[in-house]
Amino acid sequence: MANSNPIAVQLENLSKTFELRSGWGRNRIRRAVIAVDGISLTIPAGQSVAFIGPNGAGKSTTIKMLTGILHPSAGQAQVLGYTPWRERRELVRYIGAVFGQRSQLWYHLPPRDTFELLARIYSLDRGSYVRRRDTLIERFGLGEFLHTPVRKLSLGQRMRAEVAASLLHAPRVLFLDEPTIGLDVIARQELRDLILEWNREEGVTVFLTSHDAGDIERVARRVIVINHGRVVLDDKVSALRRQYLGSKILSVKFHAPPAPIVLPGVTTLKASEYALKLEVDTRATPIEQVMAEVLRAGAVADIAIEDPPLEEVIAHIYAGGSAPEVAAGDHKHA
Amino acid sequence: MLKQLTNYLGLVAAYTRLNLNAQLEYRGAFISQVVAMFLNDGVWLVFWTLFFTRFPVLRGWTINDVITLWAMTASGFGLAHAIYGNVLPLAGLVAQGQLDVWMLYPRALLPHILLGRMSASAWGDALFGYAVYLVFVRPDLQHFGLFVVLTLSAALLFVGFGVLTGSLSFFLGNASSLADQWRFAMVTFSTYPAVLFDGAIKLLLYTLVPAGFVSYLPVQALRELSPWYALLALAGALGVTAMGVLVFYLGLRRYESGNLMEMRG
Repeated sequence: MANSNPIAVQLENLSKTFELRSGWGRNRIRRAVIAVDGISLTIPAGQSVAFIGPNGAGKSTTIKMLTGILHPSAGQAQVLGYTPWRERRELVRYIGAVFGQRSQLWYHLPPRDTFELLARIYSLDRGSYVRRRDTLIERFGLGEFLHTPVRKLSLGQRMRAEVAASLLHAPRVLFLDEPTIGLDVIARQELRDLILEWNREEGVTVFLTSHDAGDIERVARRVIVINHGRVVLDDKVSALRRQYLGSKILSVKFHAPPAPIVLPGVTTLKASEYALKLEVDTRATPIEQVMAEVLRAGAVADIAIEDPPLEEVIAHIYAGGSAPEVAAGDHKHA
Repeated sequence: MLKQLTNYLGLVAAYTRLNLNAQLEYRGAFISQVVAMFLNDGVWLVFWTLFFTRFPVLRGWTINDVITLWAMTASGFGLAHAIYGNVLPLAGLVAQGQLDVWMLYPRALLPHILLGRMSASAWGDALFGYAVYLVFVRPDLQHFGLFVVLTLSAALLFVGFGVLTGSLSFFLGNASSLADQWRFAMVTFSTYPAVLFDGAIKLLLYTLVPAGFVSYLPVQALRELSPWYALLALAGALGVTAMGVLVFYLGLRRYESGNLMEMRG
């Protein structure tokens, strides 16, 4: 069932409400806090999805329901054809999970010992386990610290070992909850590349939560933004940057000082004698019109058109920007 | 069924080996904890020896019976926590939402969680129990065989009782202190001859604080080489464990995960 299912994850009106109690006796108050509020979406097998949102948006709660850790208050979910909270033990054979704040590696022992234990936990056949382990050691570059106790590893090394451990039983879906938290730039890049590689070459469905725009941009093809427990945006990562804010950054160098450029929706971000950096709202003035005006303003030596940084886009959405509410599951992605 | 049991025993062996290796990363600390517990148990034995020097018989029990009792309790408690060490912090694990990692494995949750930790000092208890029984009581093969079986029953009882008290966190929030106090009461009553108690306290020893299944029935079984007393002790251990398992899984429905930083081992 797990390997043949073309749909990796399917949610239908999934909700989770926590009850908070405070006070004593007659003043005892029960308050319902909605963590996840009717999320519906479909993720085809093999897709890499960034599931993002501000703190407290309901990301981790959703992942915990999808891995069978928490029961939902309402709604349905299927992961590889299994209902996670009812068929948790069957499901977890086919999924891997990495929680950036929780380790499955033994702190005082080398990663190799944890791998051996995991082989026993998953009842892996010895031959296929050894082949898989050796592949992971090679691809994740674990050889140099395989015999070093985890407590002596850098955070980057630990996270590489952590992700490798979660892939040991060849899962079909990999849940990653802030896997790059606390990592330096190089370690982040390495980990992103490894996750992407595994997604492309093994067809593992990746369900990633992160606050790092680089993770989303590098690893995911589709982004689902949730806020207050609801899906507020569901689109391709590239489309998010291109279309959502509808703005471009235009950097121009001139051979001589240019004439001023005054157009609706064009803001000068930076200006020097021979260079200009403009932000263009393409909904107010099409980029072609701005380009024509730039060429009229002076002899151009160099020109670059960039999308705005993804972080700005995400921050705008979190802040309650005018994102069109997307009916979950409406989007079809390759 | 047999295959599943063999598979699980293989897992127990793998965890015990791994936990022991983790403890031996700090060899000095591990050995000193084992030795300290051995000496601690020994102090109590000296106390009871002095007592029986003055009063040779206590309600029909002799020094040999009290040594048997201490050997039984120490080795039962030791085995339980040397292998199923996570039973000790179970209430805290539940209260702090630290069951998440365990729920991501294709194994029965409770017997798997319990394997996740080893109490170093418990090895001192286990070694003390067997050593004292062999050296001071000098049993024949039949008695020693029954003693080993009964220590397994006592270990099961301690595990079951730990699960029962630890699972209260599902219902009360953080029940760590309550679970600790309750377990201390159990251990304390398990190290006193049950013949000392009558009436309501005796009832207590087979209900709320089921120490009677360690401190009386196994000792009687060994005194009289009685399978009847041995079966009663085992039935009590199984009953308490069944109740612990039931309360754990009932409570699990109320489990609310947490977001603490967490490392294993």
